[in-house]
Amino acid sequence: MVEELLIRNGVVYDPINGVNGEKKDICIRDGKVVEEVRNPKVIDAEGRVVMPGGVDIHAHIAGGKVNAGRLFRPEDGRKGREAKTKVCRAQSGYSVPNTFATGYRYAKMGYTFVMEAAMPPLAARHTHEEMVDIPILDNAAMPLIDNNWMTMDYVKSGDTDLLAAYIAWMVKATKGYGVKVVNPGGTEAWAWAKNCDLNDAVPYFDVTPAEIVKSLAVANEKFEMPHSIHVHGNMLGHPGNYKVTTSTYDLVKGITPYRDRPTMHATHTQFHSYGGTTWRDFESKAGAIADYVNKNEHVSIDLGSVILGDTTTMTADGPMEYSLYQITGRKWTNHDVELETGSGITPFLYSGKVSVHTIQWAIGQELALLIKDPWKLALTTDHPNAGPFIGYPIIISMLMSKRRRDESAADMHKVIYDRAELPSIDREYDLYEIAIITRGMTAKTLGLHEHGKGHLGVGADADVAIYDMSPEEHDAGKIQKAFLNTKYTIKGGEVVVKDGEVVAAPAGRTFFVTPECDSKLMEEMLVDLKAKFEHYYSVSFNNYPVQDAYVPNPYEIKAPWRS
Amino acid sequence: MQTIRLKLKEEITSGNAKIPIDVDSLTPDKLFGKNEAEIKAVKVWWGNREENTGDLFDVSVEGEAGSVEEVKIVMEGDLSRVKHIGDGMKAGEIEAIGDVDMHCGAMMTGGKITVRGNADCWAGREMRGGELIIEGDAGDNLCAMYRGEMTGMTGGKVTVGGNAGECAGQYMAGGEILIKGNTSILTGLNMKGGKITIEGDAVMPGADMTGGEITVKGKVLDMMPSFRFVGTTTIEGEEYKKYIGDLAMTEKRAKGVLYVR
Amino acid sequence: MVEITDVVCSLCGCVCDDIVVEVEDNKVTKVKGACAVGKSKLMGHGRIESPAIRENGELRDCSYDEAIKEAAEILAAARRPLLYGWSSTVCEADKVGIELAEEIGAVIDNTASVCHGPSVLAIQDVGLPSCTLGEVKNRADLVIYWGANPAAAHANHMKRYSYISKGYWTEEGKKNKKLIVVDVRKTATAKMADVFLQIEQGKDYLVFSALRALLYGYEDVVPEVVGGIPKKDLLETVKMMKEAKFGIIFFGMGVTHTRGRHNNIVNAIQTTRAAHTHTKFNIMPMRGHYNVAGINQVCTWETGYPFAVDLSRGYAWYNPGEQSATDLLIRRECDAALFIASDPGAHFPGESIRHLAKIPVIQIDPFPNPTTEFANVVIPTAISGIEAEGNVYRMDNIPIRLRKLVDTEYMADEEILERILEEVRAIKEKEGE
Ligand SMILES: [Zn+2]
Repeated sequence: MVEELLIRNGVVYDPINGVNGEKKDICIRDGKVVEEVRNPKVIDAEGRVVMPGGVDIHAHIAGGKVNAGRLFRPEDGRKGREAKTKVCRAQSGYSVPNTFATGYRYAKMGYTFVMEAAMPPLAARHTHEEMVDIPILDNAAMPLIDNNWMTMDYVKSGDTDLLAAYIAWMVKATKGYGVKVVNPGGTEAWAWAKNCDLNDAVPYFDVTPAEIVKSLAVANEKFEMPHSIHVHGNMLGHPGNYKVTTSTYDLVKGITPYRDRPTMHATHTQFHSYGGTTWRDFESKAGAIADYVNKNEHVSIDLGSVILGDTTTMTADGPMEYSLYQITGRKWTNHDVELETGSGITPFLYSGKVSVHTIQWAIGQELALLIKDPWKLALTTDHPNAGPFIGYPIIISMLMSKRRRDESAADMHKVIYDRAELPSIDREYDLYEIAIITRGMTAKTLGLHEHGKGHLGVGADADVAIYDMSPEEHDAGKIQKAFLNTKYTIKGGEVVVKDGEVVAAPAGRTFFVTPECDSKLMEEMLVDLKAKFEHYYSVSFNNYPVQDAYVPNPYEIKAPWRS
Repeated sequence: MQTIRLKLKEEITSGNAKIPIDVDSLTPDKLFGKNEAEIKAVKVWWGNREENTGDLFDVSVEGEAGSVEEVKIVMEGDLSRVKHIGDGMKAGEIEAIGDVDMHCGAMMTGGKITVRGNADCWAGREMRGGELIIEGDAGDNLCAMYRGEMTGMTGGKVTVGGNAGECAGQYMAGGEILIKGNTSILTGLNMKGGKITIEGDAVMPGADMTGGEITVKGKVLDMMPSFRFVGTTTIEGEEYKKYIGDLAMTEKRAKGVLYVR
Repeated sequence: MVEITDVVCSLCGCVCDDIVVEVEDNKVTKVKGACAVGKSKLMGHGRIESPAIRENGELRDCSYDEAIKEAAEILAAARRPLLYGWSSTVCEADKVGIELAEEIGAVIDNTASVCHGPSVLAIQDVGLPSCTLGEVKNRADLVIYWGANPAAAHANHMKRYSYISKGYWTEEGKKNKKLIVVDVRKTATAKMADVFLQIEQGKDYLVFSALRALLYGYEDVVPEVVGGIPKKDLLETVKMMKEAKFGIIFFGMGVTHTRGRHNNIVNAIQTTRAAHTHTKFNIMPMRGHYNVAGINQVCTWETGYPFAVDLSRGYAWYNPGEQSATDLLIRRECDAALFIASDPGAHFPGESIRHLAKIPVIQIDPFPNPTTEFANVVIPTAISGIEAEGNVYRMDNIPIRLRKLVDTEYMADEEILERILEEVRAIKEKEGE
């Protein structure tokens, strides 16, 4: 049977196709957008805002550290309780929701794709097991490949071809999407309770974080990878780190990407835009970062914007979580992963009464407002690090309303008027720009627009969000409400949310990339890799790669070697 | 004054299985303004099913109440499987005749609960205000936090006529607890504010405390090895040793005071 | 004869994955590389032969269909059912179990509640600075076993991962490592130790606090003897901890099950945090069953909580000590119970067994055990890791896939549970009409 759907008379914002607020019908057949339909079910979207399904470029929704966050925070679990329904499984949690709630809540906001931002390779099966349990959303995950001993060995020997072979093997073995970098070198140093700045030597490995980043970017561009390297740089969360940040951006400046995209995606930039020398003279350097991004084409960013309130911070950046825990004295979990990476988790409360948090809150929004071209940035909260993803509508309403920003600032620490730029910025986002930073830019930066995501052109996946608001709406509160619960969310042609309620919860697909590499090169690399397994890993080589059983709904993207 | 009598029917707990009933929906503030028929129709959870109060309890109402403060609920029958008595209660009074099950007076913000018997674990959990009197013994985790939280009781007054179990007042931040008997291990664990008085003996009291005050009038068994003796002081005519702790939390944070006779 | 390499052992939390097995005529005939207990499991032993239902006190053999239907009827009718076990089967089965619990409004609990449940409670209080076992292998120069005796309970632990293993910075094995053992008795492990601290029963909490005070530099307040251990030995221990480059505490049931219980572990973790102000220090529980870490993981991402989860109201409410299996049974709260891959008949206190004799009990297990003696419905299954594959989590939460080695006629746990769930839904649909 042919399933047809017609979304009639909506006001459509589809930036990838240049559609800016046009009244337009969208025709759907068998899960795809088509030219026309014959006998469709009709959804009347008259006067409402219609966008492609949201694409989140960076969130922590599945895997070992997310689950460690849930496990050690039963007090967060009890915040989001909802009983099961005929369609939905039982829900729990606020900053660390259970997998089911994660799928439902994203879908209610009109999102249909989420990128899990950090997958420890050795525990990749865990990430996949959880992603299978997240309903509705299509997903993918990026394996951490920067603190790996293999990577550092090849960086030291300068052999980027072998490094590329290792990337190919790793991305394939983990059924991952691309190359994730988190505190390069610093996480390995953390295994000895130390950390690294950009040009420090990593203990025992005789390479610097700068060399790691550069080599990985070079190796990544040896393939037709849909995404650039995805970088959480050194010194995250340290006052004065903005110089490290721009120096990190500079590292990949001369490298040619395989297609028209940046060579580095720099994530949760808010945490990397700090001035001052201590927490006392801490100030925003969003302006300096925005300036760099405005003048250059090789870097894209996402915000990592702060949502006030309690959350659970988690990252592979072990030393950073340790310093955070030292500030709060709250519970702290750490999990170092042999030969590869680490992770730390600690709860955190962002308060508008605290000067540092207030400046952090301002920085995320300043970045969005000072970077001129919205195609260079994505909306994220680095969920749940700067706040849970269900706070996105709050940020959208802030970016769209100067008045709302002013009202919020008035309630916050006065430091916002001295050490942040936000109160002096008048810019307001329009819906087209919002659509860019929540779907257009993110799909394009991840290379997913070529695979049906983030737009509504013919042939695209029929992932559609219909927001219960008029394009003329200026009331920030109403905008926030509309973006929290859609009128309709359609995923693959199926209505999954209606009037803010989940009405269907089909399984999502997992996107993964298979980089293709010369077999001789691969064999040479495997000699080194097998030696690592033989002597240092606690798991055997043959039990390491993620078996097909873990990805029941696969979508494979091949990344050929660039000749 | 209005008195609402709720007597648990005998057959509810006389079977092979003694399945608990959750009565957090039966507080004076929630029943205020309801007549007998309406009270009988209030839903309570019994295992995995919701039942009418009237099907589980014999219900009778005497008198009128002009405000919540004038509502008194008297619970009778075998209450040993009745959980969450007065959970979240804001005002009014509850008298429970007999031993009650867990979470009695949890999260209460006001009003008064009197238990004429023992109370099982978690009585007064995360209590914010009001008064809780347990004439018999209290189980473990009296006035403590919920799992994973870092704040237990913050206000109100609790009196236990008998003994208290493990970890009484864990993460307590405010309010007062008086225990007339002995306490089991780790009373005032992680305490950061408020006051606990133990008339009997205590075992390892005050561990990891960073604030607040514990007074032990009986013996301390297994004194923590990480408290600093700072001198003697007189309380109600008796001489007490004063300790500061817990240094295991570092000196900077060790602001708890422990008085031992 | 077929030789299968990289076989994963489905016995204890070590989940050794370098075992070599020979299979002949669909039977495991030889096992290389496993410890004695692991070997005996892989070689196979007596099975429950047929599904059965108890009638007039006797088990009568029946079909899978009949047993599954009977089980579904018991569960659908129950007002406070308990589903317990889950740590000796694969995550795929655990997931169906949680869905079943949600469907029937059950309490779902796993064996963690009688072994490392206290560790979980401690983690919820203070977190867990830890690492994978390979980190220990490559880096640790100080290993502390506290209330654990791996020489007896986790035979390969020291060899593969800790004191005796060789890694990148530990090429010479135990030669450049130090071993401290804390226990109430001089165990086999204690005999290997550089320092053995013989602690008085139930005094662990005090000793941890003393170590913390010393690690933070308050020697003046610590008494001359704590928990039976002289202060000079504590000082020596603290010196070793500070001087180590990478220290690890492994703790066992000797700490989780004495006076202080989960708070002992809180204090052990606090001790680790105190040591971490000087050098790298980690801590890890010595977990028992091969997939007890796994059921905790699955239960957490699906319900929000790792064990003792009450789904009676349709959402999860978590409170160990209230919803743990033994508490429920001693308090006679349950009116039906399902046990999978576990043996409460052998491991639960007598009072709870007496209650189980009065209510309908369903057992799903490959092997007969004391629970079989009183179960009303018995459903045999394929053995995970021998006859069925699936995911498990090692004690350091590393996921590893169990392999299937031989074919079987027995149904896998996952399939049995799915069938029960289907039947329960059919019954409820009928009731709803
Ligand atoms: Zn992140």
